[in-house]
Amino acid sequence: MLLDRRRLLTSALTLGAMHAFPGLSLAQARPLVFATFTGSWEEAHKAVLVPAFRKANGDAGIVLDPMLSVDQIAKVNAAKANPPIDVMLHDPGPALVAIGQDLVEPYPTDKSTYFKDLIPEAQDAMGPAPFFQVVGLTYNPETVKTPPTSWADLWKPEFKGKVGITNLNSTLGTGWLVEIARMRGGSEANVDEGFKALEELKPNLAAVAANPGALATLFQQGQIDISPGNFNAIQILKARGVPVEFVAPKEGAIAFKTTIHIVKNSPNKELAFKLIEAALSPEVQTTLMNPPYLIVPTNTKVAMSGEIAKVLAKDTAELKKKFVFQDWKKINEQRASWIEKFNRDIKI
Amino acid sequence: MKSATTAPGDVTSFSLGLALPLGLAFAIFFVLPLAQLVYLSLHNDTAATVWGLGQYVKFLTDPFSLAVLGSTLLLGAEVTLTCLVLGYPIAWLYQRSGSRVQTLIIMIVLLPLLTSVVVRTFAWIVILGRQGIINSVLQSLGLIGTPLRMIYTQGGLIAALAQVQMPLMVLPLITAIGRIDPNLSDASASLGAGSWRTFVKVMLPLSMPGIIAGCTLTYAAAITAFITQSLVGGGQMLFMPMYLYQQASTLQNWPFAAAISIIFLFAVLAIVALFSTLGRRARGYGDAR
Repeated sequence: MLLDRRRLLTSALTLGAMHAFPGLSLAQARPLVFATFTGSWEEAHKAVLVPAFRKANGDAGIVLDPMLSVDQIAKVNAAKANPPIDVMLHDPGPALVAIGQDLVEPYPTDKSTYFKDLIPEAQDAMGPAPFFQVVGLTYNPETVKTPPTSWADLWKPEFKGKVGITNLNSTLGTGWLVEIARMRGGSEANVDEGFKALEELKPNLAAVAANPGALATLFQQGQIDISPGNFNAIQILKARGVPVEFVAPKEGAIAFKTTIHIVKNSPNKELAFKLIEAALSPEVQTTLMNPPYLIVPTNTKVAMSGEIAKVLAKDTAELKKKFVFQDWKKINEQRASWIEKFNRDIKI
Repeated sequence: MKSATTAPGDVTSFSLGLALPLGLAFAIFFVLPLAQLVYLSLHNDTAATVWGLGQYVKFLTDPFSLAVLGSTLLLGAEVTLTCLVLGYPIAWLYQRSGSRVQTLIIMIVLLPLLTSVVVRTFAWIVILGRQGIINSVLQSLGLIGTPLRMIYTQGGLIAALAQVQMPLMVLPLITAIGRIDPNLSDASASLGAGSWRTFVKVMLPLSMPGIIAGCTLTYAAAITAFITQSLVGGGQMLFMPMYLYQQASTLQNWPFAAAISIIFLFAVLAIVALFSTLGRRARGYGDAR
């Protein structure tokens, strides 16, 4: 029998795993599968989270299977009894869908070392939030000389034909609509004011992108000069030399929890727990906060520094003051009808 | 039929057995999921527990949904026509050129197929953008003051889709035109027909099978081109693939998404059937010469 390197490695891993978990049956002997997001998330997790997890758990086998939230839900749904994924990562909207469809195991909070150190918004018993995504104003400093300070600046006549937004398919687009509605007296339960504001924004709109990624690239083409944007997406563009800056508007930057969950019926529950613990640990969160990742931490033990301290918040107290959290349970209830209204009404 | 299958060495008796692997793969990976899709679409609620035709009624009685279907089918027609008008001369030129130029033309036609659709589509964003090639040329010539808005418009989308799908039109055309006996156009000319008359009466009917094949391929590819549609068309131009994606992915409304797919499938099948009927008639026309 020919033993190549890969087979040798697999055998070694399997033997190692069987040694570590004597009760492991043949059917369960697959490595931990972590469905992270594609792109910069995958890079960050491959470079930081996975090595930290493996170091703490005797080089346990782990596979990253990056895919969108909705695909994670679909895959787990298709094989509930024997899910192909052990750990899911979700935006707030899909997280509630996954919990609602009973695909998620409650997080063993009493066993967890770090859960109690998270800021209260991140302490979700169905799956804690190891990171935040932050949405604020993005602009091109070469064409926009006075930095914007408020969401309301998007309506200024000087930005005629210069504003970009995304449709409501994305968390960013939906969250932003809610924030605009709030600014004008609406709420998660009532975004009518937000739609009125969108109507008034039409002369300024240069583009309604299909997703946040496509929106960000429009800065490169000079197609838009200002838009709501994701802090991390903007940092990536900035690092590549695109003239973009991020500011938190005075109404508060929108913070989305990115939550991490143990999949129900996972054959690797213990390892899944260990991976999530690693994601919550101050060590991993500190590394991920530093360049080039600049991911906003949720563990209060992490001292904010660098670009995040400069642009977003110096510490947890300021973070809570400057961030706006939204009630996605309420948002999910009506999201379908908002998308329908957006489909019909927003034509430029 | 019976005597045919029992006859030794008859090639037709092998055909079924040899087609079995592919047939089986089709049954498992295509027919079965399709049946599942139909099953899913016949439910009135998102959890797929209540049977009913509600999703179809919802789509077919909703002017907005019908408008999305209509604009998608129209987009396909516009792209197909653009490809045909631009592609036919290329195929024509190919048949009239020496072998070196022919290789060059084939290279140019095939080149887009060698890069990913995403890359080709992004190139169009660069070309059509505010600071893109077209706008900067027009501006430096002093023809326009402010940049024209070209991406996220129907016109820009048609241009991009036409380029992306062009090989699907040109390749069948080259084959079809290549099969035409060049003596026929000489004969037509010697009988006193002008070049235009020769083209309309002789070349066009004879190249009809290629036109039909090219149009069918281009049409099907253009209306389902999710990536190009969303990147060049933008988020406010809604076509069937994006509508479907929105319902399935963002809203997790699978029964409605399934119904949209089935309706879309039948709409496309109807168009393809129309093309192939035209194709049969064209072939009849060709035989009758």
